Amino acid sequence: MIKILNLKKQYGERTVLNIPELTVNKGETVVVVGPNGSGKSTLLRILAGILSKTDGEVLADGEIYYMPQQSIPFSKSVKENILFSAKDSKEIEKRCDDILSELSLSHLANKKAKKLSGGECQRLALGRIIINQCDFLLLDEPTSAMDIEGTEIIESVIKKYKQETGCGILMTTHSPKQAKNLADRVIMLHEGQIAEQGSPDELLSNPQTNWGKKFIDMWKIDT
Amino acid sequence: MNMDSELLQIIGVTLRMSFFSTVISCLIGMPLGVLIGKSVFKGKRTIKKLTGTLMGLPPVVAGLIVYMLFTKYGPFGSFGLLFTVEVMVIAQCMLIIPVVINLTESMTEINAKKLIETAKGLNFSKLKTSLLLLSENKQSLLSVVLTAFGRSIAEVGAVSLVGGNIQWKTRVMTTAIMLETNKGNFSFALALGIILLLISFVVNILASALVREDEE
Repeated sequence: MIKILNLKKQYGERTVLNIPELTVNKGETVVVVGPNGSGKSTLLRILAGILSKTDGEVLADGEIYYMPQQSIPFSKSVKENILFSAKDSKEIEKRCDDILSELSLSHLANKKAKKLSGGECQRLALGRIIINQCDFLLLDEPTSAMDIEGTEIIESVIKKYKQETGCGILMTTHSPKQAKNLADRVIMLHEGQIAEQGSPDELLSNPQTNWGKKFIDMWKIDT
Repeated sequence: MNMDSELLQIIGVTLRMSFFSTVISCLIGMPLGVLIGKSVFKGKRTIKKLTGTLMGLPPVVAGLIVYMLFTKYGPFGSFGLLFTVEVMVIAQCMLIIPVVINLTESMTEINAKKLIETAKGLNFSKLKTSLLLLSENKQSLLSVVLTAFGRSIAEVGAVSLVGGNIQWKTRVMTTAIMLETNKGNFSFALALGIILLLISFVVNILASALVREDEE
């Protein structure tokens, strides 16, 4: 599992993240929601080792893979991008072909990745991650700016991958539908702190705090 | 010895000096530029200001420093390198390395941040990330190499000071142009200038072809 204890991130005097305790178990999908600037991406970037923490502890008993909001495609073909990202070369060609097919990218396998559309790039970014056997997946808004079809593909691939590997997933989203569809547990961040957490049904239908109620109402209007 | 063979010899010395000073400067400057660009550390701003300042180092000052280091009674006088092509390469490296560091550092800072985040998310090793950075920035790096080569082939102050513009030994295109101009032999100086431009043109054409091949 990933265990976070008294995690703090400060920029000068300003505290942008303050989480006393948070656990993500293997086989569990935890979805982090909250407005822009609430600390969602900061949390993931600290866990991925991209950002340093100011204080606290992060413990993980396995390898963590991270998909940033803007994952850069390499100057190679789509297929080469996935092959290049694989750690283990065992049956790599077959696994790569399977992933391309799951992500509906088979017809683009030989296309230069730099020429893909935004949505295709995000699917490729997920493909480069899941070619590996991950213990934990950190996904920062994996379907942002994506159409309905692309979103459905990504969500089904994430579900299938979790089922097959039993990995733990911590992801952020701005979509209540996605949170309901994927999450075992939803965490609501407000100004860098956990405002509420619970099962998606519980939290989305019956938030406990005034801020939580306001956020869910706004969220429903937005979507 | 006729004029043609002397001209060929001058072109040969020019190319040899420019090639080695460009290669050495890039081998030293590029890794340093990438390292500074992708790292966050105390004193980074000072280093950037320093390399920026050294980019404007007057060639004659660089030449003077190298001259003093390699003169008979200087600290490196025992090597006996003064008035050789080798010392001309050293003087040129002094001028070009800051340029290479500065340009590579800027390029890395602009392009590398998101790429490093992507690579880190995929658990790439440091070596794999560095190689990826280099291959993903091939075109920008090529521009740095061309800038370094351009500065090297066009330089006159430092090489004439430490090389001495010795016929059949350390005379290069730029110092030959200067000499011929001083002698009033303008047409020959102009011809040399055109040849120098042609060399630069050919190098640029070859580099563009490399980039085009990569894009395809």
